[in-house]
Amino acid sequence: MNKYFYIALTSIRSKLAYLGEIGSKTIFLFVILYIFLCLWKVTYTETNQSSLGGLTLKQMLWYLVVTESMILSLAPIATVVDQDVRTGSLAMQLVRPLSYPLSVFANTTGERCLAFAINFVVGSLIACLFVGLPELQLQNIVMFLLLLPLSFALDFSIYFLIGLSAFWLEDTTGITLIYSRLTMILGGMLIPLELFPDSWQQILRVLPFSAIVYGPARTFVTGDVPLFLYLIGQQLAAIIVFALLINLVYTFALKRVFSHGG
Amino acid sequence: MSGLSSYLRLAIAYTKINFKSLLAYRGAFVSQMVAMFINDSVWIAFWCLFFTRFPVVKGWGVNDVITLWSIAASGFGVAHVFMGNALTLPGIIMRGELDSWLLYPRAVLPHLLLGRSSASAWGDALFGVVVYVLFVKPDLPHLLLFLLLVLSVAILFVGFSVFTGSLAFFLGSADSIAVQLRFALITFSTYPSPIFQGFVKVLLFTLIPAMFVSHLPVSALRNMSFLDASYSFAGAFAVLAMGVAVFYFGLRRYESGNLMEMRG
Repeated sequence: MNKYFYIALTSIRSKLAYLGEIGSKTIFLFVILYIFLCLWKVTYTETNQSSLGGLTLKQMLWYLVVTESMILSLAPIATVVDQDVRTGSLAMQLVRPLSYPLSVFANTTGERCLAFAINFVVGSLIACLFVGLPELQLQNIVMFLLLLPLSFALDFSIYFLIGLSAFWLEDTTGITLIYSRLTMILGGMLIPLELFPDSWQQILRVLPFSAIVYGPARTFVTGDVPLFLYLIGQQLAAIIVFALLINLVYTFALKRVFSHGG
Repeated sequence: MSGLSSYLRLAIAYTKINFKSLLAYRGAFVSQMVAMFINDSVWIAFWCLFFTRFPVVKGWGVNDVITLWSIAASGFGVAHVFMGNALTLPGIIMRGELDSWLLYPRAVLPHLLLGRSSASAWGDALFGVVVYVLFVKPDLPHLLLFLLLVLSVAILFVGFSVFTGSLAFFLGSADSIAVQLRFALITFSTYPSPIFQGFVKVLLFTLIPAMFVSHLPVSALRNMSFLDASYSFAGAFAVLAMGVAVFYFGLRRYESGNLMEMRG
């Protein structure tokens, strides 16, 4: 396990050399947070409500800080796997004393942790500037920190599966884009699940998308303990299911690897 | 006039070649096109959900936002279906790959821009028209004005991409900043314009010209206002002129990458 930890650490170190590039992505974070602040300000004013979907305007913006930071920190997992499959680099990885899925996990998660930390710090500064500090208790932060790694792991497992589809598909960017958009909408990145029609909410809470984005963000701003307990169970169950699927697809896919000298 | 028709013929010839080269990877082309169509549809779904819960935002209803998305998506799509290299301009400049384009007996910029077609842009271009016709159900005059405004937005997107891409002449690695600025333009363009007030509104008429994609075209279609439509065109041509000026000014600073390159 130690070696995967060092892969993650190396990934963070190498990304630290390109801090400017990661930093430039925070321009988009600023833009999107500002737009949503404008949109929700108008919406709260026009509906004459102080709380929508159980969130005040301040909570709504902090909710968006978390969801946007998570989504914008995503490493190109499916693209990495797709390229390894397509270029044949995968064959090189197989001769190493490492599990390929775990090494990709360590590499991309290291990168994602760093990007998330930067996004979250910048997003928090922006939110402080716009609406001030949130009313947080220690338990909110602890629960969030427990949910976050599981959320990253679950998201990774789905992207990894998409990347593996490169063994059979000509191009995986389409599926990657569709999955990322599903996570954005059905995962509650733009709008909390409570604001969806009632009939949708029951379905969306069961799907993995909400365990990736909505759940951790909602727990961060509200400190909802029953939601936290439900999410932990949901995340673990989903990770186990997707890990088994990866194992199955990966084993099957490896039979299609043909390596030759060069 | 003969120069213009010559470039029009060049554009048609390039579009045919680019389309054929996209079809060489038919599966990838179709999947990217469909994915972009679905991507845009997801945003329409978001707005439908939003307006189901909150029917009016500062006088804008769901139809206005659908119109806005249709124009923005089709405009962006048309721009990069025909001039796909606008998206990759900073990379081309940064790697010193302009050499082969400089050798042709044509003006560099239009020739370079026409050299590639973006597969996903076909999805955008198609999406806007389909959604506008299906959801807004326009009469013939509205549809014709819509198509005209798509052209205006396409000109603006090309101009803005050329402007941001040309920053690579001055900054070197401008890929990231060009992408961020383009995202900023697209993002500001796809939200109801009345939510932006004060200094930001001024910014959206100048530095990030989103109001020429969102506010003016939607207003033109809402009121069948040819004045607003002409303002949209004026803004689009101003952005294009700025982009072209920055490109040719920056071209003086261009340094070759001494690359051997084959263009098929």
